[in-house]
Amino acid sequence: MSGHHISSAKFLWGVGIALLILTFLTVAVTWINIPEPWNVVVAVAIAVVKSTIVAAFFMHLWWDTKFNVLLLFMSIIFFMILVGLTLLDALYRTDPIPSF
Amino acid sequence: MAQPSTSVKKGEHVQHHFVDSDQQFEASKMGMWIFLVTEILFFGGLFLGYIVYRSWYPELYLMASEHLDVFWGAVNTVVLISSSLTVAMAIRSAQLNQQKGLIINLCITIALAFIFMVIKYFEYTEKFAVGIFPGGYYTYDGIAHDQANIFFSIYYMMTGLHGVHVLVGIGLMIWLVVRARKGHFHSEYYTPVEITGLYWHLVDIIWIFLFPLLYLID
Repeated sequence: MSGHHISSAKFLWGVGIALLILTFLTVAVTWINIPEPWNVVVAVAIAVVKSTIVAAFFMHLWWDTKFNVLLLFMSIIFFMILVGLTLLDALYRTDPIPSF
Repeated sequence: MAQPSTSVKKGEHVQHHFVDSDQQFEASKMGMWIFLVTEILFFGGLFLGYIVYRSWYPELYLMASEHLDVFWGAVNTVVLISSSLTVAMAIRSAQLNQQKGLIINLCITIALAFIFMVIKYFEYTEKFAVGIFPGGYYTYDGIAHDQANIFFSIYYMMTGLHGVHVLVGIGLMIWLVVRARKGHFHSEYYTPVEITGLYWHLVDIIWIFLFPLLYLID
Protein backbone atom coordinates (compact mmCIF):
# COMPACT_ATOMS: atom_id res chain seq x y z
CA MET A 1 0.00 0.00 0.00
CA SER A 2 2.88 2.34 -0.77
CA GLY A 3 0.67 4.91 -2.46
CA HIS A 4 -1.87 5.36 0.28
CA HIS A 5 -0.02 6.94 3.12
CA ILE A 6 -2.35 9.30 4.98
CA SER A 7 -0.53 12.19 6.64
CA SER A 8 -1.98 13.62 9.83
CA ALA A 9 -3.31 17.18 9.66
CA LYS A 10 -0.80 18.18 12.33
CA PHE A 11 2.08 16.85 10.23
CA LEU A 12 0.92 18.69 7.08
CA TRP A 13 0.58 21.95 9.02
CA GLY A 14 4.07 21.39 10.43
CA VAL A 15 5.46 20.99 6.91
CA GLY A 16 3.63 24.12 5.76
CA ILE A 17 4.93 26.17 8.68
CA ALA A 18 8.49 24.89 8.11
CA LEU A 19 8.22 26.08 4.49
CA LEU A 20 6.99 29.51 5.60
CA ILE A 21 9.91 29.81 8.06
CA LEU A 22 12.34 28.94 5.25
CA THR A 23 10.64 31.55 3.03
CA PHE A 24 11.25 34.14 5.73
CA LEU A 25 14.86 32.93 5.99
CA THR A 26 15.47 33.28 2.25
CA VAL A 27 14.33 36.93 2.44
CA ALA A 28 16.22 37.55 5.70
CA VAL A 29 19.59 36.40 4.32
CA THR A 30 19.44 39.25 1.80
CA TRP A 31 19.42 41.76 4.69
CA ILE A 32 22.93 40.70 5.67
CA ASN A 33 25.29 41.23 2.78
CA ILE A 34 26.78 37.89 1.83
CA PRO A 35 29.55 38.40 -0.77
CA GLU A 36 29.27 37.09 -4.33
CA PRO A 37 28.93 34.24 -5.28
CA TRP A 38 27.85 32.94 -1.87
CA ASN A 39 24.59 34.90 -1.83
CA VAL A 40 23.44 32.88 -4.86
CA VAL A 41 24.65 29.64 -3.28
CA VAL A 42 22.71 30.35 -0.08
CA ALA A 43 19.55 31.38 -1.98
CA VAL A 44 19.61 28.26 -4.17
CA ALA A 45 20.48 26.03 -1.20
CA ILE A 46 17.41 27.24 0.73
CA ALA A 47 15.26 26.76 -2.39
CA VAL A 48 16.60 23.19 -2.75
CA VAL A 49 15.79 22.42 0.90
CA LYS A 50 12.25 23.82 0.45
CA SER A 51 11.69 21.85 -2.75
CA THR A 52 12.96 18.67 -1.12
CA ILE A 53 10.48 19.15 1.71
CA VAL A 54 7.61 19.72 -0.76
CA ALA A 55 8.60 16.70 -2.89
CA ALA A 56 9.16 14.37 0.07
CA PHE A 57 6.10 15.17 2.18
CA PHE A 58 3.48 17.05 0.11
CA MET A 59 4.17 14.97 -3.00
CA HIS A 60 4.42 11.80 -0.85
CA LEU A 61 7.76 10.69 -2.32
CA TRP A 62 8.90 9.72 1.18
CA TRP A 63 6.34 6.89 1.20
CA ASP A 64 6.21 6.34 -2.56
CA THR A 65 7.82 3.71 -4.77
CA LYS A 66 11.52 4.29 -5.36
CA PHE A 67 10.86 4.40 -9.10
CA ASN A 68 9.08 7.75 -8.85
CA VAL A 69 11.99 9.11 -6.80
CA LEU A 70 14.31 7.83 -9.52
CA LEU A 71 12.27 9.68 -12.17
CA LEU A 72 12.68 12.94 -10.28
CA PHE A 73 16.42 12.41 -9.82
CA MET A 74 16.85 11.58 -13.51
CA SER A 75 15.17 14.83 -14.52
CA ILE A 76 17.50 16.77 -12.22
CA ILE A 77 20.57 14.93 -13.54
CA PHE A 78 19.59 15.61 -17.16
CA PHE A 79 18.94 19.27 -16.33
CA MET A 80 22.45 19.48 -14.85
CA ILE A 81 23.95 17.88 -17.98
CA LEU A 82 22.12 20.50 -20.06
CA VAL A 83 23.45 23.34 -17.90
CA GLY A 84 26.96 21.88 -17.67
CA LEU A 85 27.44 21.33 -21.38
CA THR A 86 25.97 24.72 -22.28
CA LEU A 87 28.18 26.58 -19.79
CA LEU A 88 31.25 24.87 -21.25
CA ASP A 89 30.42 26.93 -24.33
CA ALA A 90 28.96 30.10 -22.79
CA LEU A 91 31.68 30.66 -20.17
CA TYR A 92 34.70 29.89 -22.32
CA ARG A 93 33.99 31.77 -25.54
CA THR A 94 36.77 33.77 -27.11
CA ASP A 95 34.19 35.66 -29.16
CA PRO A 96 32.60 38.65 -27.55
CA ILE A 97 29.23 38.19 -25.89
CA PRO A 98 26.42 38.56 -28.47
CA SER A 99 24.46 41.79 -28.47
CA PHE A 100 21.16 40.01 -27.74
CA MET B 1 -9.70 -17.30 -23.12
CA ALA B 2 -12.03 -15.46 -20.83
CA GLN B 3 -10.74 -14.62 -17.39
CA PRO B 4 -12.80 -15.97 -14.53
CA SER B 5 -14.82 -12.96 -13.54
CA THR B 6 -15.07 -13.94 -9.91
CA SER B 7 -11.30 -13.95 -9.17
CA VAL B 8 -10.91 -10.31 -8.10
CA LYS B 9 -13.64 -8.12 -6.80
CA LYS B 10 -13.18 -4.84 -8.61
CA GLY B 11 -14.43 -1.43 -7.68
CA GLU B 12 -16.53 0.44 -10.21
CA HIS B 13 -13.70 2.81 -11.05
CA VAL B 14 -11.17 0.08 -11.94
CA GLN B 15 -10.72 -0.26 -15.69
CA HIS B 16 -10.59 -3.74 -17.15
CA HIS B 17 -6.88 -3.71 -18.00
CA PHE B 18 -5.81 -3.24 -14.38
CA VAL B 19 -5.53 -6.00 -11.81
CA ASP B 20 -6.89 -3.91 -8.97
CA SER B 21 -7.46 -0.40 -7.70
CA ASP B 22 -3.94 -0.07 -6.26
CA GLN B 23 -2.25 -1.01 -9.51
CA GLN B 24 -4.40 1.51 -11.40
CA PHE B 25 -3.55 4.19 -8.86
CA GLU B 26 0.19 3.46 -9.03
CA ALA B 27 0.13 3.49 -12.84
CA SER B 28 -1.63 6.87 -12.93
CA LYS B 29 0.78 8.33 -10.43
CA MET B 30 3.83 7.10 -12.33
CA GLY B 31 2.41 8.55 -15.54
CA MET B 32 2.00 11.88 -13.78
CA TRP B 33 5.60 11.76 -12.54
CA ILE B 34 6.81 11.18 -16.10
CA PHE B 35 4.80 14.24 -17.16
CA LEU B 36 6.38 16.21 -14.29
CA VAL B 37 9.83 15.16 -15.58
CA THR B 38 8.97 16.79 -18.93
CA GLU B 39 7.75 19.86 -17.05
CA ILE B 40 11.02 20.13 -15.10
CA LEU B 41 13.00 19.96 -18.34
CA PHE B 42 10.59 22.41 -19.99
CA PHE B 43 11.22 25.00 -17.27
CA GLY B 44 14.84 23.79 -17.15
CA GLY B 45 15.47 25.34 -20.56
CA LEU B 46 14.32 28.71 -19.23
CA PHE B 47 16.43 28.34 -16.09
CA LEU B 48 19.36 27.59 -18.38
CA GLY B 49 18.70 30.83 -20.30
CA TYR B 50 18.62 32.62 -16.96
CA ILE B 51 21.96 31.07 -15.91
CA VAL B 52 23.75 31.80 -19.21
CA TYR B 53 22.67 35.46 -19.29
CA ARG B 54 23.44 35.89 -15.61
CA SER B 55 26.98 34.61 -16.26
CA TRP B 56 27.30 37.16 -19.10
CA TYR B 57 25.62 40.16 -17.41
CA PRO B 58 25.89 39.74 -13.60
CA GLU B 59 25.68 43.53 -13.07
CA LEU B 60 22.47 43.76 -15.13
CA TYR B 61 20.71 41.23 -12.89
CA LEU B 62 21.73 43.24 -9.81
CA MET B 63 20.39 46.50 -11.27
CA ALA B 64 17.22 45.16 -12.84
CA SER B 65 16.00 43.01 -9.95
CA GLU B 66 15.74 46.15 -7.83
CA HIS B 67 12.76 47.01 -10.01
CA LEU B 68 10.93 43.91 -8.78
CA ASP B 69 8.99 44.32 -5.54
CA VAL B 70 10.38 41.87 -2.95
CA PHE B 71 7.34 42.41 -0.72
CA TRP B 72 4.79 41.22 -3.30
CA GLY B 73 7.10 38.42 -4.42
CA ALA B 74 7.30 37.22 -0.82
CA VAL B 75 3.52 37.52 -0.38
CA ASN B 76 3.02 35.40 -3.49
CA THR B 77 5.45 32.81 -2.14
CA VAL B 78 3.43 32.59 1.08
CA VAL B 79 0.21 32.37 -0.97
CA LEU B 80 1.53 29.48 -3.09
CA ILE B 81 2.96 27.55 -0.13
CA SER B 82 -0.37 27.94 1.68
CA SER B 83 -2.16 26.63 -1.41
CA SER B 84 0.17 23.61 -1.46
CA LEU B 85 -0.81 22.96 2.14
CA THR B 86 -4.54 23.15 1.32
CA VAL B 87 -4.06 20.75 -1.62
CA ALA B 88 -2.30 18.30 0.70
CA MET B 89 -5.21 18.71 3.14
CA ALA B 90 -7.67 18.12 0.27
CA ILE B 91 -5.95 14.82 -0.56
CA ARG B 92 -6.08 13.83 3.10
CA SER B 93 -9.82 14.65 3.18
CA ALA B 94 -10.41 12.48 0.10
CA GLN B 95 -8.45 9.62 1.68
CA LEU B 96 -10.64 9.86 4.78
CA ASN B 97 -13.95 10.13 2.85
CA GLN B 98 -14.45 13.68 4.12
CA GLN B 99 -16.49 15.07 1.24
CA LYS B 100 -16.98 18.50 2.78
CA GLY B 101 -13.33 18.93 3.77
CA LEU B 102 -12.25 17.97 0.25
CA ILE B 103 -14.48 20.60 -1.38
CA ILE B 104 -13.59 23.32 1.15
CA ASN B 105 -9.85 22.71 0.78
CA LEU B 106 -10.08 22.73 -3.02
CA CYS B 107 -12.06 26.00 -2.92
CA ILE B 108 -9.46 27.64 -0.64
CA THR B 109 -6.77 26.49 -3.06
CA ILE B 110 -8.62 28.03 -6.01
CA ALA B 111 -9.04 31.28 -4.05
CA LEU B 112 -5.32 31.38 -3.21
CA ALA B 113 -4.41 30.69 -6.85
CA PHE B 114 -6.61 33.65 -7.88
CA ILE B 115 -4.93 35.86 -5.27
CA PHE B 116 -1.57 34.86 -6.76
CA MET B 117 -2.71 35.81 -10.26
CA VAL B 118 -4.23 39.13 -9.11
CA ILE B 119 -0.94 40.12 -7.44
CA LYS B 120 0.93 39.07 -10.59
CA TYR B 121 -1.50 41.18 -12.66
CA PHE B 122 -0.74 44.28 -10.58
CA GLU B 123 3.00 43.62 -10.76
CA TYR B 124 2.82 43.34 -14.56
CA THR B 125 0.63 46.42 -15.12
CA GLU B 126 2.88 48.50 -12.86
CA LYS B 127 5.83 47.61 -15.12
CA PHE B 128 3.91 48.05 -18.36
CA ALA B 129 2.95 51.55 -17.20
CA VAL B 130 6.59 52.69 -17.23
CA GLY B 131 7.45 50.89 -20.46
CA ILE B 132 9.03 47.75 -19.06
CA PHE B 133 7.97 45.36 -21.80
CA PRO B 134 9.77 42.22 -22.95
CA GLY B 135 12.26 42.20 -25.82
CA GLY B 136 12.07 44.90 -28.50
CA TYR B 137 9.06 46.63 -26.92
CA TYR B 138 11.14 47.70 -23.94
CA THR B 139 11.12 51.52 -23.65
CA TYR B 140 12.00 52.17 -19.99
CA ASP B 141 15.17 54.26 -19.51
CA GLY B 142 15.56 53.98 -15.73
CA ILE B 143 18.19 51.23 -15.87
CA ALA B 144 21.62 52.27 -17.10
CA HIS B 145 22.37 49.13 -19.06
CA ASP B 146 22.20 48.51 -22.82
CA GLN B 147 20.74 45.04 -22.40
CA ALA B 148 18.22 45.86 -19.65
CA ASN B 149 15.44 44.36 -21.79
CA ILE B 150 17.09 40.92 -21.55
CA PHE B 151 16.46 40.58 -17.82
CA PHE B 152 12.81 41.50 -18.28
CA SER B 153 12.37 39.18 -21.27
CA ILE B 154 13.58 36.37 -19.01
CA TYR B 155 11.39 37.65 -16.16
CA TYR B 156 8.24 37.78 -18.28
CA MET B 157 8.93 34.44 -19.95
CA MET B 158 9.56 32.56 -16.70
CA THR B 159 6.84 34.15 -14.56
CA GLY B 160 4.47 34.17 -17.55
CA LEU B 161 4.86 30.45 -18.22
CA HIS B 162 4.53 29.83 -14.50
CA GLY B 163 1.37 31.96 -14.47
CA VAL B 164 -0.09 29.91 -17.33
CA HIS B 165 0.54 26.82 -15.20
CA VAL B 166 -1.30 28.44 -12.28
CA LEU B 167 -4.27 29.17 -14.58
CA VAL B 168 -4.28 25.55 -15.79
CA GLY B 169 -4.15 24.49 -12.13
CA ILE B 170 -7.20 26.66 -11.37
CA GLY B 171 -9.06 24.97 -14.23
CA LEU B 172 -8.13 21.49 -12.97
CA MET B 173 -9.14 22.38 -9.43
CA ILE B 174 -12.57 23.66 -10.57
CA TRP B 175 -13.02 20.36 -12.43
CA LEU B 176 -12.13 18.51 -9.20
CA VAL B 177 -14.68 20.53 -7.20
CA VAL B 178 -17.39 19.71 -9.77
CA ARG B 179 -16.57 16.00 -9.59
CA ALA B 180 -16.22 16.06 -5.80
CA ARG B 181 -19.70 17.58 -5.51
CA LYS B 182 -21.04 14.68 -7.55
CA GLY B 183 -19.43 12.37 -5.01
CA HIS B 184 -16.93 10.83 -7.42
CA PHE B 185 -14.06 10.69 -4.93
CA HIS B 186 -13.68 8.45 -1.89
CA SER B 187 -10.94 6.61 -0.01
CA GLU B 188 -10.76 3.89 -2.70
CA TYR B 189 -10.64 6.30 -5.64
CA TYR B 190 -9.15 9.78 -5.43
CA THR B 191 -6.56 9.50 -8.24
CA PRO B 192 -7.47 12.81 -9.98
CA VAL B 193 -7.10 14.67 -6.66
CA GLU B 194 -3.72 13.03 -6.03
CA ILE B 195 -2.19 13.73 -9.45
CA THR B 196 -3.59 17.26 -9.70
CA GLY B 197 -1.97 17.75 -6.29
CA LEU B 198 1.36 16.53 -7.69
CA TYR B 199 1.04 19.05 -10.53
CA TRP B 200 0.18 21.86 -8.13
CA HIS B 201 3.14 21.10 -5.86
CA LEU B 202 5.48 21.19 -8.86
CA VAL B 203 4.13 24.63 -9.81
CA ASP B 204 4.85 25.63 -6.20
CA ILE B 205 8.42 24.25 -6.41
CA ILE B 206 9.10 26.23 -9.59
CA TRP B 207 7.99 29.42 -7.84
CA ILE B 208 10.20 28.51 -4.85
CA PHE B 209 13.16 28.80 -7.26
CA LEU B 210 11.85 31.78 -9.26
CA PHE B 211 11.33 33.97 -6.19
CA PRO B 212 14.94 34.13 -4.90
CA LEU B 213 16.45 34.01 -8.39
CA LEU B 214 14.42 36.92 -9.76
CA TYR B 215 13.45 39.08 -6.77
CA LEU B 216 16.20 38.51 -4.23
CA ILE B 217 19.38 39.31 -6.15
CA ASP B 218 21.14 41.61 -3.78
